[in-house]
Amino acid sequence: MKSWISFLLPDDEYKEKKMLYFFSEGAIILFLSLLIMIICTYFFTINVGTALLLAIAIFLFYVTGRYVISGMEYTDIATEHSYKKEIKNIYSRTCSFAFIYLLLYLIFVGIPGDRSDWTGMLGLLISVGFISFITNYISLRRSYHKNKELL
Amino acid sequence: MKNNVKIMRMKMSMTQEQLAKRVGATRQTIGLIEKGEYNPSLQLCVAIAKELNKTLDDLFWEENLL
Repeated sequence: MKSWISFLLPDDEYKEKKMLYFFSEGAIILFLSLLIMIICTYFFTINVGTALLLAIAIFLFYVTGRYVISGMEYTDIATEHSYKKEIKNIYSRTCSFAFIYLLLYLIFVGIPGDRSDWTGMLGLLISVGFISFITNYISLRRSYHKNKELL
Repeated sequence: MKNNVKIMRMKMSMTQEQLAKRVGATRQTIGLIEKGEYNPSLQLCVAIAKELNKTLDDLFWEENLL
C-alpha cells in the first residue's frame, strides 16, 4: 500500500503493522486530549505554548512508550551472550553521546562561568543520558524476553 | 491460523534467522508466525512457502477447518 507515511515505517511487516497501530492510537489520544483542552478553556486559561507543547508531548510519549514496551526494537537479541553484548553497546552509545554533547557545548557555548551554569549543563546532560539509557535498556530487556520465548 | 512453518523449516535445517533473511522479515516475525501469534500477509506466506519448497496448503490452515 502506498502512502506518504511509508518512509517513517520499518520494512518488516509485523513491525510496520504495530507502528501503524501505535501512530493511530497516539493520534486518537491526541485528538481526545485536544478536545479536553478545549473544554478546559471554558473554565480556565491555558497558555497557547503550553497547550501545544502538551499535545506534542502526549503524542510522542505515547508512541515512544508503546514502542519501547512492545519489545520489537531488538529483533535478533535472543541469547544471553548477545543480550550482554547489546547492554555494553547501549552503555558505550550513552557515553559517546555524553562526550559529544559535552564537547559541542564547550565549543559553541563555552566553558560555564559559574556554579549554576555548570549545574544546568551537567543536569541536562545527566538527565538526557539517563533517560536515553533507561529507555534503551527497557526496550532491550523486553525484546530479549520476547525473543527468547519465540525460539 | 495454524501452521507448519517451524516443522518444515527444521526439516530443511534452516534457522529462524536464515529464513527471515531470505523472506525479508525479522527473526522475531518468523518466531511470531511459527507460534501462531501473528498472521502474515499473503505476500509473506508465499515467500515463506517458496523458501521452504511447499505449497500454502502444506503450511497454513484455519484451525476450525480440521
